[in-house]
Amino acid sequence: MFTGHISDLIDDRPDEGIFRVSRSIFDDPGVFELEMRQIFESGWVFLGIADQARDPHDFFTTDIGRVPVLVSRDGDGTLGAFVNSCPHRGSRVAQTLAGNARLHVCPYHSWSFDSAGRNKNVKLKRAGCYAESFDAQSHDLPALPAFGEYRGFLFGSLDADVPPLATHLGEAAKLLDLVADQGPDGFELVPGAVTFTFQANWKLQLENCSDAYHFTSTHPSYIRILEQRQTANTGVAVKSVWESSDYWREDAQGVAGGSFSFPHGHVLNWGIFGVTEALPLFEQAEALAERHGAAKRDWMFNMRNLSIFPNLQIAENASSQLRVIRPLAPDLTEMRTWCIAPKGESAQARRQRIRQYEDFFNPSGMATPDDTVSYENCQRGFASRVDPWLQGYSRGTTASRAGGNPFSDLIGMKPARNVLADAQLGDETLFQSYYREWARRMAGVIEQ
Amino acid sequence: MTLSLKDAEALLYREAECLDESRWDDWLDLYAEDACFWMPAWKNEIETTTDPESELSLIYYKGRKNLADRVWRVRSGQSVASTPRIRAVHLITNVRLVGADEAGAQVAANFAVHLFDKRSGRTHAFFGRYRHDLRREGDRWLIAAKTIVLLNDTIPTVLDFYCI
Repeated sequence: MFTGHISDLIDDRPDEGIFRVSRSIFDDPGVFELEMRQIFESGWVFLGIADQARDPHDFFTTDIGRVPVLVSRDGDGTLGAFVNSCPHRGSRVAQTLAGNARLHVCPYHSWSFDSAGRNKNVKLKRAGCYAESFDAQSHDLPALPAFGEYRGFLFGSLDADVPPLATHLGEAAKLLDLVADQGPDGFELVPGAVTFTFQANWKLQLENCSDAYHFTSTHPSYIRILEQRQTANTGVAVKSVWESSDYWREDAQGVAGGSFSFPHGHVLNWGIFGVTEALPLFEQAEALAERHGAAKRDWMFNMRNLSIFPNLQIAENASSQLRVIRPLAPDLTEMRTWCIAPKGESAQARRQRIRQYEDFFNPSGMATPDDTVSYENCQRGFASRVDPWLQGYSRGTTASRAGGNPFSDLIGMKPARNVLADAQLGDETLFQSYYREWARRMAGVIEQ
Repeated sequence: MTLSLKDAEALLYREAECLDESRWDDWLDLYAEDACFWMPAWKNEIETTTDPESELSLIYYKGRKNLADRVWRVRSGQSVASTPRIRAVHLITNVRLVGADEAGAQVAANFAVHLFDKRSGRTHAFFGRYRHDLRREGDRWLIAAKTIVLLNDTIPTVLDFYCI
């Protein structure tokens, strides 16, 4: 059990320009246990997308923290989310990642439930010599205490005492709109899911998605290969968005992007890509401008790495990836990842999106392994308490401003803070938003 | 001359040796210039993806040049995931000649690749099935297409081309 104070973990002194994080938040088992309870098992957590259960009786399974969850669409088309555990003896009821079932039968003692989670049968009930009081209890699959959808993104909570989902997402919802609005018929997951693990704390993934500072240091092999492909132009390599953008080049001039941070721990790290044919969305460029206006269209083409605290990331850079972060232990994390795409895009655009995705995002590709091995290097280094305080939360301190800027104004978005960055700034103040929310949630069980 | 089972085995074992011993140029030399290298992702518990044009793969390349890029990366010293490289040994069994004529041959096999990453202390084994489509070019048999069905697709941190 962790018995210290929040101030032992997060050193947040804005007046002095100091923000430091203790190494122990990444490897202390007591802290991890509290994170599971306070963050994953008592607040909004991303579950999946509505399209994963498209038709009546479709379902998929997932987890909130350590708890198995069933998301099911009932016969009337209404989505519900349930604890995937039989009220009888606790067995997981639905066994598969996804499927279609009017009836879910527990494989242990055959209690059965319809697609709305209602108990349909207790096997050999009459012969069971139950007391009358047994009938007074609900035998249904327990619905998640809170469940909500925002434009196809599904969230649930194991605690009913959460703000409305709209409040939790706040202005960051406008960044989900940029994903949802790319196709007239919404978005989908490209068939084929990729799961990987790394032996490091889940918050390293949270940070890395928002880390503009690491790209040229961690991924030089990927960058050099793109440069070589550009020069060679053999026609056998897939076109890359990085080739046509100066966003990541350290000698680029002017505003290259920056960061936005929001209440409840959501953050965006973004860069200007421009409306380039290297993006599969290019075929829709005019249609998107007509439908949503040029400003919002341009934002859809910007590089955007979005984290919705604590477990959803949507990275739209080399391609488009939806990631679900699942902490398994202080030093073990599971990532479930998909290529996310607007429905109805052309076969050529889809192919391009997939090829760009595989090279950059896959754990079998040319970039992600360099990130995850770096996380593991960090995890090893976190063992030190010689100086427990990490210094990686300070870049951008004097560039961080309250509110939005002309770029967020373009889509009417009002973030809590913003940083406008040139190509060299590599803002780290956006991480502070993660840890302020983290500290707020942990404050219920750790003293200030 | 059609390819014999013995020739097929020898070719697969040679490929394994090249990968295990970091003889990258020799490995690339086994592939036809337009070779397809494909490891599908899984759609669910029991089915892999089948169409790399519309579904995701773990690795999909058309053209040996793309494999050469991967080789360049592990040699470059600019990839922390690749340096120091993970030790690997390929065990290839159940080799079957599925089809063979003068111009081509199809070979099926099972594999297990045992890995040891000294840096992290992690040992792991990837296992699954290979399908090699071989093509005769002059007096040599080249790999025109290799499909790798990886059965244990929860990937611990790194899977590079030499790990499968």
